[in-house]
Parts: sequence; C-alpha cells; structure tokens
Amino acid sequence: MKRTIKTLISLSLVVVLLLQGCGSKEKEKKTFVPKYDKNTEFSLTVVGSYSNFESLEAEFERFYEYYPNASLQYVTMDDYNNVISSALVNSEPPDIFTTNTWMVGNEKYNDLFDSCEVISDPELGIDYSCIRNSLIWSTDSGDVVMLPIFTSSYGMLVNMDIFEKENLEVPTNYGELVEVCKKLKNAGYESPVMGADQFSGPGLFNCFIYPMFAYDAMKNSDKIDALNNFEPSSGELMRPALERLYEFVNSDCIDVAKCQNEIIDDYDSVIMRFFEGDVPMMFATGDVASGTAKRESKSEAFSANPFKYRFFVAPSGDDGGYFINSTSLCFSVNKHSRNLDMANEFMRFLINKNELSNMAGLKRLITPVDDFSFDELYSSLADVPKDRSFSDKETGLLDPAVRQFRAAIYAVGNGRMTVDEAIAAYGNIPEE
Amino acid sequence: MKRRAIITINLLIMGSILFFIFRYANDKASESTHNSIQAFEKMTTTTSQIIVNYLEDEQHLCDIWANYVNSAANDGAPMTANEAISYIRKAKISPEIEGHLIFLDNAERKGISTTGKVSDLNDYTVSYKNISIFDNIGNVSNENDVVNLTRAYTNPSNGVQSIAFLNNVMVIDEESGELVKGLLMRVVPLSRLEQKLVFLNGEYENVEISLIDQEGNYVVHGKSFKNKNFFEYYKSYNTSSAEEYDQVVKEIVSGTGTMMLKNAKGEDCIISYTPLATMKTWSLLAYLPVGNFAVNRSIDWLLLGIASGGFILLIIFNSTVMMSYNRKLSEAAVQANQANEAKSYFLSTMSHDIRTPMNAILGLNEMVIRDSKDENIRMYSESIRTAGNTLLGIINDILDFSKIEAGKMEIINVDYSFVSLLNDLVNMVQKKAEDKGLTFNLDIDSDIPTVLNGDEIRIKQIIINVLSNAVKYTKKGHVTFMVRANRIADKPDSIRLRVSVEDTGVGIKPEDLDRLFVAFERIDEKSNRNIEGTGLGMTIAQSFLDMMGSHLEVESEYGKGSVFSFEIEQKVIKWDPIGDFQESFRLSLTERASYHEKFTAPYARVLVVDDTPVNLTVFVNLLRNTKLQIDTAESGDECISLFTKKHYDVIFLDHMMPDKDGIETLREMKAITDTPNKETPIICLTANAISGMREMYTAAGFDDYLTKPIDVERLEMMLLQYLPKGKVGPPSAKGSEDEYNLPDFLFNLKEIDVGSGLTHCGSGESYVSTLKMYLDSAENNAKEIERYYASKDIKNTTIKVHALKSTSRVIGALEIGELAARLEKAGDAGDLETLDRELGELISRYRQLAKDLEPLAEGDDDDKDDDRPLISDEKLKEIFKSLQDYCEDYDLDSIVGLVASLDEYRIPEEEMTRVDAIKKAVDNYDYEMIPDILSGEMR
Repeated sequence: MKRTIKTLISLSLVVVLLLQGCGSKEKEKKTFVPKYDKNTEFSLTVVGSYSNFESLEAEFERFYEYYPNASLQYVTMDDYNNVISSALVNSEPPDIFTTNTWMVGNEKYNDLFDSCEVISDPELGIDYSCIRNSLIWSTDSGDVVMLPIFTSSYGMLVNMDIFEKENLEVPTNYGELVEVCKKLKNAGYESPVMGADQFSGPGLFNCFIYPMFAYDAMKNSDKIDALNNFEPSSGELMRPALERLYEFVNSDCIDVAKCQNEIIDDYDSVIMRFFEGDVPMMFATGDVASGTAKRESKSEAFSANPFKYRFFVAPSGDDGGYFINSTSLCFSVNKHSRNLDMANEFMRFLINKNELSNMAGLKRLITPVDDFSFDELYSSLADVPKDRSFSDKETGLLDPAVRQFRAAIYAVGNGRMTVDEAIAAYGNIPEE
Repeated sequence: MKRRAIITINLLIMGSILFFIFRYANDKASESTHNSIQAFEKMTTTTSQIIVNYLEDEQHLCDIWANYVNSAANDGAPMTANEAISYIRKAKISPEIEGHLIFLDNAERKGISTTGKVSDLNDYTVSYKNISIFDNIGNVSNENDVVNLTRAYTNPSNGVQSIAFLNNVMVIDEESGELVKGLLMRVVPLSRLEQKLVFLNGEYENVEISLIDQEGNYVVHGKSFKNKNFFEYYKSYNTSSAEEYDQVVKEIVSGTGTMMLKNAKGEDCIISYTPLATMKTWSLLAYLPVGNFAVNRSIDWLLLGIASGGFILLIIFNSTVMMSYNRKLSEAAVQANQANEAKSYFLSTMSHDIRTPMNAILGLNEMVIRDSKDENIRMYSESIRTAGNTLLGIINDILDFSKIEAGKMEIINVDYSFVSLLNDLVNMVQKKAEDKGLTFNLDIDSDIPTVLNGDEIRIKQIIINVLSNAVKYTKKGHVTFMVRANRIADKPDSIRLRVSVEDTGVGIKPEDLDRLFVAFERIDEKSNRNIEGTGLGMTIAQSFLDMMGSHLEVESEYGKGSVFSFEIEQKVIKWDPIGDFQESFRLSLTERASYHEKFTAPYARVLVVDDTPVNLTVFVNLLRNTKLQIDTAESGDECISLFTKKHYDVIFLDHMMPDKDGIETLREMKAITDTPNKETPIICLTANAISGMREMYTAAGFDDYLTKPIDVERLEMMLLQYLPKGKVGPPSAKGSEDEYNLPDFLFNLKEIDVGSGLTHCGSGESYVSTLKMYLDSAENNAKEIERYYASKDIKNTTIKVHALKSTSRVIGALEIGELAARLEKAGDAGDLETLDRELGELISRYRQLAKDLEPLAEGDDDDKDDDRPLISDEKLKEIFKSLQDYCEDYDLDSIVGLVASLDEYRIPEEEMTRVDAIKKAVDNYDYEMIPDILSGEMR
C-alpha cells in the first residue's frame, strides 16, 4: 500500500515537473508576440558573404510560424565588402545585411553605416539586453546600428576522454598546465598541446597568449594609444606575454616542430589532427571549433573511436585563462529597405536568447548571449571569472597593433627572435 | 444467431463497404493526383519555355548590340570601347539594364559600364576582379541567338543581383590603335527574370519556381529551398545512397520529370524539373508540397466520413431495436421457464398428492384382501387393487413422460436377474390377460443368461407397456410374449435380446402407424374409447429404446393383430442359462398363494414417521405378520424425541411433512450425538417419484428410499436388507402347518433337495403330503412306463415320463426330473436309442427313491388334526372348472399344479371321494380319466 502511494506521489511529481517543463518551454516560445497582422505578405532579403547560411535559414522557418506569408531569403553577394555599400542604396536594396566590427572606423564603410537603421531606437522594440554588453558596439552618438550574431574566441579544444582516462583535470592556470602536461608526456603523449604554427589568428601562439596580452593591454589603457601608434617603448607591454610564450614553447607542453610537421593549415588540418584522438589539447579559435561538427563524420579515426571534446580558454595566466570575446558577425538593418518595418520585425524576433543561441548552436559558434548553457561545447566559458572575460573592443587595440603583436609571438615562438629583440623591434617586426 | 455474431457480420459488411469506398476514393485520388502531377509537369515545361523565350529575347538584344559593334569593325571602322558603350547606352531602353564591356585579358577584368557607379555616378569603370563568373564561359559563342549566360551574380557597379548575356565584340584600343576582343555583357537584374515567374502563382498558389545551374547552384531561389545549392539541399534532407544521389543529379540536370522529396521540415513535396530548351546550363525546378495535390481528396474523406457516420448510426439503431426485441424475447423465455417450472412443480405436487392417498387406499385395501374371509369383499378389493395399480401406472407414465421431455431421464445400468425380470413381467400381465379370457403364451429362450447388466427398470417398463397394450387391445385370442437371445460376434461379453409381443388384437391401420409414437395420441380413438390409458405408453417405450440405442418395430394388420418387437444389447454377467422358464413359472403359479410374510423379527424394532395417521396404520398392518415392534411418530419433532430415547433397527421417515420435513428432521438427527441410533439406517418414505429423487435423498443423507404407495414385497425386502441378521427369523407357519416338522431322514436323501421341494410345495405339510402321493403312485407308474415302453407305445411312455419329470421336480428330486426331461425330449423326438439306454436308469432311480420315502407311509395313521382352511364351494368349483379346461387343452403341467393346490385346503366330506379320485388319476398319470370324474360329478 505504502509502495503504491509512494509510486503515485513520484508519478505525480514527475507529471507536474514535466508539465511545468512543457509550460515553461511554451512560455519561452511565446515570448515573441508579432507586432503586425500575421497574414501580412512580405519578402525580405538578407545579404552577406557567407556562401551558405543554413542557421539563418532555420530562423526563417521559425519566423514563418508567426508570419506564414512571409518570404525570406539569404543571398550571397559577390565581392561583398566592396559591393555592399552600393547595394544598400541601389534599386533593389537588401533589407538586412551582415556587418563586422572591423568595419567600424574604416572610412570605406562610412556610407554603409550611414545606411544602417538605428536598432537602439526604442520605438523598434528590439531588446538586445540578452547579448553580453561588452559585445554591443555603438556609434559615437551612442546609437546601436549592428548587433552581434556570432562571436569567437581564442582557446583550445580538449579531448575529455583522454583526461578522463588519465584521471586528470583540465588545467585552469599555467601552473596546472605545466603539471598536467608533464603527466601526459609521461603517459606517452609526445606533445600534450598542439596547434597550427601559423601567423594567423587561429595560430597556436596567438590562441595561447593573445588573450593574455589583450588583458594586459586592457588593464594598461593609458599605454594603448602608444601601442596603436607603434611608439617603440610601448612594445614593453608585450613582455609578460612574450616571456610566458617563451617559457611555454620551451616546456614539455608542446613540440612545435611536431606541430609544424603534422598540422599544415589553421583550420581543416587542426580539426582533422585533433580527431586522430591522441592530442589532449589543441589550440583553436571558436571559428575552428565551429568546423568540428561537420568534420566528425569525415574523420575515419573519429568515426571509429569517437570521443567527447570541449572548448576551453588557454590557461596562460598564473591565475587562470582569459576569455577574450570577439564578434564574428553582426546584423544590421538597411534603412533604405522597402520593407523596413518587417525587417525590424525580423530583427526583433531574432534578437532573443533562444533564437540567437539556436543560430549559434547550429553554426557551432559562440553565442553572443549571456548564457552558455545552450551549447555544451562552450559550456566551460561560463566558468571564466567576469574579471578575465572581456571583448576585443574593450582592449582598445587597433588591428595594426594586433598584427605587430602576432608577428612578435610568431617570431619568438619559432625562435627567430628573443623576447628582448621582439620588444625592441615593435612596430617593425616583419609580418607574414 | 448470437448477438455478437450478428454485430460481427454487420461490422464486416460495413467494413467492406467502407473499405470499398476508401479504395475507390483512394484510387480516384491517386488518379487525380496523377493527373495533377501531369498537369504540374506540363506547367513546368511551359514555364521553362517562357523563360527560354525570355532569355533568348535578352540574348537577341545582346546579339544586336554586339552585331552593331562588330559590323563597324567588319566595315573597317571599328568602334572604341567608349563609342561602343555610348551606342549601347543609347540603344538600351530599360534604365535597370546595363551594358558592360569587359576586357578579360586585363588582370583586373576591367571595363566600361553604360551606367555610373552608385557611389560615384560619373565613374563608368567596372571591374570583375573579385567576381568569378567567367570561369565556365570560356567559349562564348559568337553565333547569334545562342544564349550565353552568366550565373546570377552581384553587379559590381551597383550591387544588384543580376544575370548577364554575353557576346564577343571587337573594338579598337584607343591607346594602341589595335583591334582588341572585348566581352559585351547585357546585365539584367535577376528580379526581371523572377517577375516572369510570378504570373504562374495563380494556377498553383504555393508553387515555387527555382532555376539552378548544372552544379545545382540557385539562379533563382525558391522560398522553401535552403542552402545555396539544390543538390546540397537534397542531400541534407533526403536519405539516399551515393548512387541514388548521382542518379537524382543526373536526372535533374538532363531530363524532364517529377520526383518526390522531403523538404527541410521533413514534409513530402513534389518537384517537377526540366532543363531549359536550347541551353542546357540551367534547369527549372517547380516545387509544390504534396498536400496541395491532395486537396481533392478531402471530398472523398467527407464521403467516407458521412458513410461511416451513417453506418454507426445504423448499427446503433439496429442494436437498440435488436436489444429491445431480445429483451422481449428473454422476458418471454423467462415466462416460459416459469410456466415449465410451474408444470414441474405441478407434476411433483400431483405425484405427491395423488400417491399419498393412494398409499392409504392400496395399503388398506391390501389389509382387506388379507383379512377378509368374504370372497365378495375380496373380489371387490382385488378390483380396487387393479384399478389403483392402473391409476398409479397412469401417473407413472405421465411422470416418466415429463422426465423424458425435460431430458432428465437417465439410463442406469445395474446387474439384474433376467428370470426375476420375466417373473415380474408375467406376474403383472398374465392376470390381466386371463381376466380378459386371453391366452397368454410364453416363449422364452432357455439359453438366456441368468444375470445381465442393463437398466432393468426401464426394460421392464418397455415390455410392460408393450404387453399391456397388447392385452388392452386384444379382445379374444392370445398374446404371445417371446424373448430370444443371440450372441454378438464382435462382443463376446454381450448378447442381443430380441423381445416380441404378438397379439390377435385390433391391429393398426397403416396410416395410423406413424401416430403410434406421438405423445397423447390414441389410435382409433373412437373404437377404443373404452380402453383406459394416457396414450403415452408407446411414446415412453420408444423414448427408452432410443436412449438404449434401439427402436420399436411394429408389424400390424388391421383387424388381425400386431407384432411389436425390439432388440437390445445387454452385457452378460453370468452365462448360466435360465432354463425352461415356462415350466418354472407354471410351477411358481402353484406356489402363488395369498400373501405370506418373508420373515419374522419379533425382537427387532422399527420407527415409522408420517404426518398422515392412516399411512401409519397401513404401514403397521402391512408388517403385522412379521411380528416387528413398530413405533410410530406423526412429526419430525416426535421422531427426534424417540430417536434420542429408544434404539431402533430401522427408521422410516416421511419426506413431506408440515413444520419440519423429512430432510430437516434427518439433519437434526444426524447432528445429535447422544443417541442409541447412531448406526441406524434411515429410509425415506416418499410419494415423490419424479426424476432425481434417489440422488436427492442419498445426497441428503438417507440410506435408502421407498416410494408410496408402499409395496409390501419391497418393504419386506428392504427390511431384510437392513435389519440385523440376528434378529430376523424364518416366517411364521400358518396355523399348524407353520409348526410342521419334516421327518429327519428326508434331509439325508441324496435324491431330493428338501429346500426346493418346500419352495415348490409352499409348506412342510404340503410337501410331506406330496411326497406321500409320489410314493403311493411310484410303483404303479414305474410299471406303466415299463409296460408302455415294452409295447413300443412311445407316445404314452413319453406322457408318463413327462408327468414323472414334473412330479419329481415338485418334490425336489431334481436329478430324476432332469433325467425324465431328457427322456421326454427323446420320446418327443422318437429317439429310441436314448430311451433304450436311459429309461432303465430312470425307472430304477424312481423306484429307489420311492423305497427311500417309504418311512413316510408308516406314519400315515398318525396324521395330526387338519387345520387347513376348508375350501369354499366357489373355489372348488373354480378349480374343477380350470381342471376341465386344462384337460381339454391337454395342459398336463397345469393339471398337476392345480391338483397339488388342493392340498392346501381341507376338502368337504362330500367332495373327498371325487378329489381323491382326481388325485389318484393324476398320480397315475391317468389324465384322460379326469374329465370323466369331473363331468360325472358336474352332471
């Protein structure tokens, strides 16, 4: 009798919880309330440089649930960066278009930004509060004209199965990294950490140490201008990062030569080598990580022996790693749109925790919203303390300074320069 | 038919109709879908033609431009690039359309546009450096009207998605003055092409037209298609093998047709595809979800729904009506059952209510017969007994019939003595036959085994019915009862009895034969109205035979008589043959004196309980001669009271009593532990004679049961069974005869069986008297036999031997009787050899026996006082009359028996001489003298 009662109570609880679960899902789903008649017939065109944008097309389908007579299409434009400004004002202007943070401040795109609808206009009702504040860019006048859709970061892919097998914890600071690597090396992993020895952003040195440098720069904002202006003395700001890099490449953690031999590019090769299953940690950017899903089936090794993997920030600092968040792609609304209201309506629909996370999840990129729970791959990012989480925008570093730093680490990492030489040569370090 | 079966059949029929409708609708829908798809395919082809026409038109305009520019070159006055563009600028009508003249040799793929850039309206330069549209169009045809087309691309001068029609032109390089080859592009916004497709939406509201190139890249992109490439899209949402995928690609790129595929939502949809005629670089895809084709089917679903609904209503209606009928029927059935129960109740009540008073009537009548000395009264009583028994028979017939009708009649096989069965039958029928002046002949096979297994009671009933009928319907002549036994080849332990009853009665008309076995039908009712009966006898007999796997056969000739016969199989328990039944029976007739108790038991005590005082009186009187101590009680409570106080050897307890009935009383008695009657058998007295009574009473705890009216024979048999053997003594002798002591030497004679002799003679005195007669006549008889045989008078020898056989058997000289019987047969058969061989032995043993019996003659003078009843005049006259008849019939056995019966009476002085003369004649086998002796007297 008692057992029956217990069973009944448990069942009731389960049912109640399930119902609540359903209810809350239902609630979330219904958070978007269409502003216009759902039978409104309209077409919208979103243009961009992505040749394929299936995650956006999935959002079109979700949007059709509210506006079944809508017709949205994504069009890949040829020579996007050169043509978009003209396209925005031509006879068949696109309604929504992709923008990038690097366009900000570039004169070439002044016209483009002139064509942008002010998304922060309260009348539009576009609530972007779900997006991490550090990712929001605004114009000098404080208007928000572009909203991040995807973001990226620098870090590493970790083979969780190896750590589980070796009974090790994923290192969270540099000391732990060295410790763990020693153990892994003893366990037979020749180069516990690997990556692409490339000059590019996803290059291994950049993934390891750029977040630390960017953090230092952010904390020394008074010296940023000097850095940006290539003042010779400003190179000194690179010292802590370069010394840590030097220490790292000369430790048991990494065999740079092995990386050079086995990883020939900074994207495909990185992923496929990681899928071989014998690399505990592989430096990668979020963009590289986004390419893993599609390549799982292409890797025979991974198909034969699949394993669990996650994205972590590189534990380069003594106190821990740094999560520098850079925006990969933004959406802006063309104020010349012939369907401006509906373009804003779509943005209102899209700028939402669920939709943005869905999109990022499908694309396997880091979501711009302040909740990493949607994608397990990036769930570790939530553990990085606020203090060490920042966006590239906050560093104040301009692209040329970043490139000089990248040249410095490439030289030091590959032993072509000492730390002192690199600091001394700041502003004139040869770039690849 | 059961309700479930009816409903099932209904459902099956409805299911079949619905299935047919469904199939029909489905076929129609499939046909309609097929037609729709064909129409759709046709629409696709038409659309492709429209597009081709449009593209050709545009190409044609491009060709005109090129021709004009080239004609100048051909005429020796080639245009510069600027001149060519100026010309085109003038020639083109639509402002959205641009003309680009590109020099592909140039690394920047630069050229001049007819329209200034959006960013700088005065800048007419255009560069295709970052736009890779020329990779697959290396061989642009110079032929007119051959469509040379780019993919959809972004117009670098204004950012509009466009397509460009191409042709080669020759212009002069202003700087070098040389003729250079340029690519003339007629750049048309893609929207112009899309507009051509819009008008189609009227026919197929949801159709989406897409154009793809040979790689599957969209030129025009339908809303539902995802990805930038149709084939990628197909691969993403449709599971197919590599071969299937290749096949799809090949088919779409090169062929015309329709195929099903899943869209991004997993829904089925149809695409119709066809390559654009004259240019194979593009294919047209028309997309429509399958649901759009199925619209027509909704009408059929409606039809199906209405039909289903109708059927359900029909079945509900029918079920309701059926249920109402069923309710009425079951009410009627309940009423019928109640009526039947009432009938059963009535029968049971009738049985009880009629049988109870009948018990009194017949029991008291039995007392009258037993006690009355007045012949008239005895005669009346005999009539009462006859009428009473007839009435009981009728009641029994009705009860049996009701049992058969209710299917409660069962065949219960028991071991039984066939002789006993025959005795009962003949006893029951012979009297009736004789009373009607009919001759009752017996023809019983002497080889019938003595003990058989079968339902004795039912067999008896069948034969009684047939025999009674024969007697009833025969006015004069005879009734012959014949039984034969035949062995059955494949059943060594059974025999087949053939029973037939022949009469010289009224016979049955052929047309009435069928009605013979119909209940309550009485054939020839008009002529036979005086004959009592229910008309059930034959029906019951036939039913019983049916149950035994046999049937009654009838041969009849109207007015002459009938033969009823049947055969039944009976298991044999004891193969000993019954022997000559006729003879035995005839002898038994002589023994059939008036009632005599079977035993005495003065020390035994019985208790009889019945609520009707007269029944108690009957019971007590019936058993008076047994000297039993009989206590009576008139209620269950009184019975219980006596039960606890006194010991009884047997208790008879009536079933139906007011207040506390027999069964309740019995239960209480069984519950009592403090009683001297723990082991006492308790027998139920009941007037109920309907089916299942035995089971009911034994189940209730009775040891046995006895039906009322009480048959004294059965009652005494039952008492003999249940009384302790030590308390049962021999029957008391009647008068002095009872105390007659047989001389001891008789028991030492090997040749005679005293018991058998006593049985035949009825009493010791009669036996001794018979023995004396046997002795007296012995020498004379022996001599006569020898004399007849010596003179070869076989006939008379045989007659004498026959008489010797009979008398020998009567006195218990069974071996001599058997020897005489054998010689009688030999005599009849003229078998002199046997006679020669054995007659001497017979005579010799006969004489020896006579010698052994001589001590009897010595005590003759010492006869005790004769206290036998004085024979009445009427009785004597009756005997003389019978003797006369037997002599006429030459029925010697009957003569011997009848004369022997005279020994039971004292003969009046005046008749002594004649009686002695008759006895002497019999002893000396001078039967022929008897009529003279009688007639002399009677005259």
